[in-house]
Amino acid sequence: MATLGEDLRAPAAGRRFGFVLDRPEWLGPLMIAPAVLYIVAIVGLPFLLALYYSVSDISMGRRTLGFVGLRNFISVVPTPKFQTSLQNTFVFAIVSQVLVIILANILALALLKDFRGKWLVRLLILLPWVAPISLGTIGWLWILDSIYSVINWTLEAVGLITADGWPMYLGKPYLAMGSVITVHVWRLLPLATVIILAGLTSIPKDIHDAAQVDGASFWRHQFQITVPLIRPILLVALLFGLVFAFTDMVVIFVLTRGGPYDTTQVLASLAFFTGIQGGDLAEGAAIAIFLFPLLLAVAIVFLRIARRAEVT
Amino acid sequence: MGDSSVNRREFLKTTATGAAAAGIGANIIIPGRSHAAKKTLRILNWVHFVPAYDEWFNKKYAVEWGQKNDTEVTVDNIGIAGVNARAAAEVSAQKGHDLFLFNWPPPSFEEQTVDMKDVYAEIEKKVGKPIDLAIKSTYNPKTKKYYALSPSFTPDPVNYRKDLFGEVGLPNGPRTWDEVRVKGAEIKKKRGNPVGIGLANEIDTAMAMRTIMYSWGAHEQDQAGNLTLKSKQTLDALKFVKALFQETMTDEVFTWDASSNNRAVVSGKVSLVLNAISTTRTAEKENPEMSKQIQLAKALKGPVRAIGLEHVMQCYVIWKFAENKEGAMKFLVDYVTNFRQAFVAGEFYDFPCFEKTVPDLQKLIANDPKGHPPDKYKVLDDVLKWATNVGYPGYATAAIDEIYGTWVLNVMFAKVAAGKASPEDALNEADAACRRIFGKWKEKGLV
Repeated sequence: MATLGEDLRAPAAGRRFGFVLDRPEWLGPLMIAPAVLYIVAIVGLPFLLALYYSVSDISMGRRTLGFVGLRNFISVVPTPKFQTSLQNTFVFAIVSQVLVIILANILALALLKDFRGKWLVRLLILLPWVAPISLGTIGWLWILDSIYSVINWTLEAVGLITADGWPMYLGKPYLAMGSVITVHVWRLLPLATVIILAGLTSIPKDIHDAAQVDGASFWRHQFQITVPLIRPILLVALLFGLVFAFTDMVVIFVLTRGGPYDTTQVLASLAFFTGIQGGDLAEGAAIAIFLFPLLLAVAIVFLRIARRAEVT
Repeated sequence: MGDSSVNRREFLKTTATGAAAAGIGANIIIPGRSHAAKKTLRILNWVHFVPAYDEWFNKKYAVEWGQKNDTEVTVDNIGIAGVNARAAAEVSAQKGHDLFLFNWPPPSFEEQTVDMKDVYAEIEKKVGKPIDLAIKSTYNPKTKKYYALSPSFTPDPVNYRKDLFGEVGLPNGPRTWDEVRVKGAEIKKKRGNPVGIGLANEIDTAMAMRTIMYSWGAHEQDQAGNLTLKSKQTLDALKFVKALFQETMTDEVFTWDASSNNRAVVSGKVSLVLNAISTTRTAEKENPEMSKQIQLAKALKGPVRAIGLEHVMQCYVIWKFAENKEGAMKFLVDYVTNFRQAFVAGEFYDFPCFEKTVPDLQKLIANDPKGHPPDKYKVLDDVLKWATNVGYPGYATAAIDEIYGTWVLNVMFAKVAAGKASPEDALNEADAACRRIFGKWKEKGLV
């Protein structure tokens, strides 16, 4: 049986908690705190560590680090390997994102319509995003393999290529870059599609109906109604995709490891090879964060445009 | 809720008290139990190319050693691609395995590893001296420290198709690099089977290109560790690889990865590769007919010498932060002195770095029931005379390791072979990269 004192204490605690719940200036920060803590612990601290590593002389087997200023950047940036990787990074990121945005728009428009088996199509489109990326890319490695390529086998079976004329998808610079971009697009397409689909469903139907009555063509609908209205969300999709393409190395690591002769080497993979495989953690960190200021600027610009578009 | 029910707080209180009481009780009944907990030894090995080895090591040898030494031994296996990243993570956390196996020399981890001088000495007392290749791959002459211990290495012989080379007059395979170029071209023209020597960003290419360089008398460094890449010999080696590619290979070699040698030979596509005997072992299991055609040859002769690289260098380190250093050292001493078991379990994939540990090696490899013919592996009987380390004639230093791990030489050869750079330009670029890398590690005091 509870005592009188206990009975009184319990509501008092409840009141204190209730006071916090009733005050928006407390409740807001309280609700967002777990997310902030998570970002600080998982993203913020490692990022700060990487920043510090990039201006230090740390190597993989060393725990003490001395400050060396910008020496790592000055040493690595002028090298041909870095320059090639930088150029490849831009080609890889920009081409893949252009393709992702175009294809995601097409897919999202298609998924907006009602048709039989729509749930299945949605599921299939989401699969590349749901499946572990390394596993999916290993599947692509086999599809593009020089001996067992199912694409080449089919092309040969239908008489389009001969047995000794198999394209080496990962062995020719342009084909290899095309291959890694294709796989990257395959991987990012679901995310972009879902984001754009969410934007499309938020457009009030009466706007399109009014345009229909006025006799607007398909392209007019797209470029004068849909695109302006979903611009904020489109920019978010583009920003996500760009950051991913500029910083990720899984597809390239599994498919080409930067080859043939560094023609698909990007900064993210070069950072890994230098820092982890080569042992120079400091230089690896410098390569990895080299594009951070640019990505930060792009993110700020994109988010500002998106916000402005949202307000107007 | 009625009186008979128990609330959460009471339940926790009761169970905690009970558990504490049980613990105390057990210590009263079995004195010394709490402070005589069984020792543990955690080992990390990479996934072996011969699965039977892991089966033997994990389920038999480690278990039996643990029983004999009153130690609970745990063995974890990871893929070779993750070895360095895993090591970096353990160093960063200052926690991990007691024994850590690298598949190539790890000189950049030197400051985090226990000096293996005493372990080498202990083993030497029991089974004699290690081979030079082991020392060159685990010792830093600058700091005078054994940063790892190498129990074994994997030879990298020539794997050739007997039927194809027989058709062009070399039934016993090529003996020189020039024969590979001339006869390989003939086979490609006649039968469409190219030579398969990688020119990609991967480890087999790194080994093959060094094999050619060393055979031409070209080296990254001299015996004293001075950079010597820029030489007439390297230029000649580059020109040879260009000719070899153009005459005997296809663009496929630019797509090479660590499993390509196996796939290309076992599928019957190529006429020759440089690889460990995992190729022939795979063929014996998956394609016995093809296995009869795939034969082995010794290191090929170049203009200066016949020399081959190790294909894999097994290097165990004991971290300074390991919890059971003594156990790890004892395990290593026992493992090396009993290496014959490992040699047999690994189907001759790993050759001993301490020769006397497998006294009947010659006899074993001369009559292998799985081989076609049974003396297929006899060709490896003098492998110690022609196998060498990355960084030959010097040591496998941190600078050599970074050059290896960032594919500087792979890219140099591939660019020249593909006609994307002249031999002179490619060499200048690689030399500049090596110079920068040597400079960095000299500053860090490890070279």
